[in-house]
Amino acid sequence: MQRLVLACLLVLFSTAVRAQDVSIPVLVPLTGFLSLEGQSQRNGALLALRNPPPGITPRFEVADTGVSPEIAVNAFEKALGSRPLAVVASMLGTQMLAMMPLAAEAKVPLVTVSGTAKITEMGNPWVFRFFPGDAVVKTAQARYVIEELGKRRPAIVYQTTAYGQSGREHLDAMFRKLGAPPVFEEGIGVDVKDLLPVLAKVSASGADVLALQLHAPSTALLIRQAASMGLGIPIVAGSAIHQPSTAALLEPRELAGICAESAASPISGGSAALEAWIEEYRKEFQSEPDAYALAQYDGTMMVLREAAAGARTPEALARALSSARYEGLAMTYKSDGRGNMAHSAVILCYDGTSRVPQIVKRYDNIDGVL
Amino acid sequence: MSLELGPYELRLLTVAGCYALPVLGYQLVFGHAGALSLAQGAFFGLGAYATALLATRWGWGFLATFPASILVPVALAALVAAPVLRLRSHYFALATLGIAQVVLLAAVNWTELTGGANGLAGVPGVVFAGVPVPRGWPMLALVWGLVLAVMLASHLALRGRWSRAFALLRARPLAAAAIGLDEGRMRLAAFLASAACAGAGGALYVHTLRVVSPEALGFPVMVACLAMSVIGGAKHVLGAPLGALLLVHLPEWFRFLDLYRNVAYGAALLAAIVLAPSGIAGALARALPRRAAPAPKPQAPPAPRRPRADEGPLLAIDGLAKSFGGVRALDGVALSLRPGEILGLIGPNGSGKTTLLNLVSGFETPDRGAIRLAGARIDAMPPHAIARSGVGRTFQTPALVEEMSALDAVSLARGKELVAARPEAMHFLAEVGIGAEAAAEKVGRLPFGLRRRVELARALALQPRLLLLDEPASGLTAGEREALGNLLRRLAGQGLGLLVVEHDMPFLLGLAHRVACLDEGRLIALGTPAEVRRAPAVIAAYLGEAA
Repeated sequence: MQRLVLACLLVLFSTAVRAQDVSIPVLVPLTGFLSLEGQSQRNGALLALRNPPPGITPRFEVADTGVSPEIAVNAFEKALGSRPLAVVASMLGTQMLAMMPLAAEAKVPLVTVSGTAKITEMGNPWVFRFFPGDAVVKTAQARYVIEELGKRRPAIVYQTTAYGQSGREHLDAMFRKLGAPPVFEEGIGVDVKDLLPVLAKVSASGADVLALQLHAPSTALLIRQAASMGLGIPIVAGSAIHQPSTAALLEPRELAGICAESAASPISGGSAALEAWIEEYRKEFQSEPDAYALAQYDGTMMVLREAAAGARTPEALARALSSARYEGLAMTYKSDGRGNMAHSAVILCYDGTSRVPQIVKRYDNIDGVL
Repeated sequence: MSLELGPYELRLLTVAGCYALPVLGYQLVFGHAGALSLAQGAFFGLGAYATALLATRWGWGFLATFPASILVPVALAALVAAPVLRLRSHYFALATLGIAQVVLLAAVNWTELTGGANGLAGVPGVVFAGVPVPRGWPMLALVWGLVLAVMLASHLALRGRWSRAFALLRARPLAAAAIGLDEGRMRLAAFLASAACAGAGGALYVHTLRVVSPEALGFPVMVACLAMSVIGGAKHVLGAPLGALLLVHLPEWFRFLDLYRNVAYGAALLAAIVLAPSGIAGALARALPRRAAPAPKPQAPPAPRRPRADEGPLLAIDGLAKSFGGVRALDGVALSLRPGEILGLIGPNGSGKTTLLNLVSGFETPDRGAIRLAGARIDAMPPHAIARSGVGRTFQTPALVEEMSALDAVSLARGKELVAARPEAMHFLAEVGIGAEAAAEKVGRLPFGLRRRVELARALALQPRLLLLDEPASGLTAGEREALGNLLRRLAGQGLGLLVVEHDMPFLLGLAHRVACLDEGRLIALGTPAEVRRAPAVIAAYLGEAA
């Protein structure tokens, strides 16, 4: 009799273990022009997956999506074989757009930090973005330029990628809304290394401030070349320059006066919980965390929390993510009904003495969702 | 044994099929026509964009979008063909790369139409006559059904004459023109067909991926087509699917290597190129060699009508001049040749003999003067048209494809399918003393003297009125020279006019009815062999006192 009871308990226990075992593949760009950001995204997700809340045991595999939609879709299709609860999906907009129809068909939530506006404008209920979209961060960037710096003649230099074009569109609209239409706009490819011609055009346009929407390598190159030519007007960059790995490409003096929008700036410090997370991150990856890592950590942790709370199927998880509110390390997250979970942004600036920026302005709940 | 493939495996196979189509097209322009086009990725992306735009913006169905997606890249190829196809080697490659860049920039920056860098999402799946073709096995069957259809069409089109014609065009473009092959038309056909295949592949690709972005037009797609073609085998129809299957699966197989997978991928490609330089299909073909078809019995074609000696000059050259930069290669040369006459052309090196043959053949255009064949001007005609009008020629070094059999080399000049051309070709080979065994042999394995005769047989297979021979006795043994002399006399006896450039004076002076001597581009003597041999100017400029 005792053996029978023991056997029953073992069966129950093993069933319980299986029920807690969920698959959350991590599909991020680790090679190509977005590798710096992609590695941050992966690290944030891994930190959460390796430290799940009690009651949940995530299984995960990391797959590189490169920068091609085809590779991302192949990786996603392969990941579907593990019957995932959710997928940590690439921050590259074109890859998200390619994975989204398949996610809708397979009914699997995609948890991402992609900033591309379009991914939450297509009515796909399986997309959850934990990095503020362009509607939030570009509003913060434009408002800082106009309201805080008092500039009236902005120039925009953007990348000719989904990220760049989406940001330009929002920046342009916001500057116009604030009564300061851009005096100069130009797109540059990710492979352009000599940025002096575009900087010369900015200078000749009479612009009194330069707003950037570039990926990390182009941002670093432009700031270095602007410093060497003495551009003479303030630069308010996109979130790329807030990354410690990007700032490390530049000397502190080259960063003097450079400001940028971001969802957060972990290395600038914050709550005790955030400081503890930063230490954990440094210990785990021997590098400095950035806002992408923090946002993906928050997003993945929210998935794990909802799973631990009972959302053990993709449908249940999607419902939970659509309705729940989550106090993350970077900010408070809540869906706006279209999958936009993040609604706050910060402006940070470098003082020229170090590569650690200071947060100079916070824009909370910009779109009024919270 | 059951074949169990999951959605992931089926997707990879489907994507490989989508790439196999542009690679099949690329084999035509790159493998067969020998032109390094760098626009194949752009044609592929154009097909994808055409389908995406027509399906998402205007709601067109597959039966309308698919042909349109083929027509759009073909239209672009036709538009750029005139300026681009004139270029050769790296100039052609750079021009096609420029086209691809323009298309890519348009896709990125024409945001209202193309969606910019985001591209176009929400492309529907294939609906075939009202019946949806879902992803998985049905889509796989559709894609590979089309791949097989294109493979079959390509095989049927290239299995005989045209694969050999392209081989000659690649290896010896002047010789190809000299037997009447229109290089421009062949390259155009290959370029348009490659664009059509790429467009079809792009259309199916976007139906598989359901989204298109500028990455579909990017250089990596072009490189993938090139790599698939090279590694699969650029000249074998089987090479396209093999290359596509391997290169689509290889990065996925190496996923376990994480960040090192690109290194492994590159190493694998390098190994494939080193181990199988003619591609996997080429290596398979070598491992399973086909027996050469036995030479058929000779069959003489109907004899052409050749002009009689009393009908006026066969070839009339008047005031011909040609300069290359500051060098005057020909200066006011005038001479004529009657039907059935052998006219020898002598002179020191650099005197303009080969230039004269090249002008008559149409390989060069004269600066001044006129060239008439049986009274009709030919100096403005392209070389293939001159060849078709009845001018055959040989070259200083036999211009043959070493991998081609002697029989097929000659058959090409007959301008008809190989099966019908081979018995007639055998007739011309027999006329120059080549038997069935040597005819079936690859040209590269024949001794030099036989190669000269193969080339002469090829020129005769055109059934020309005028034959231009550039140093035909060079490198021949005494016996071979004697046989050649007898053959040329016999041909002249049949009414053929022969213009023979030769340095072997005993051979030429014993053969020619008349001899012309050039020096520094000018005609310094024209007369019977005896007259020319005695002419002081010829002795001073060429023969020397000892002669």
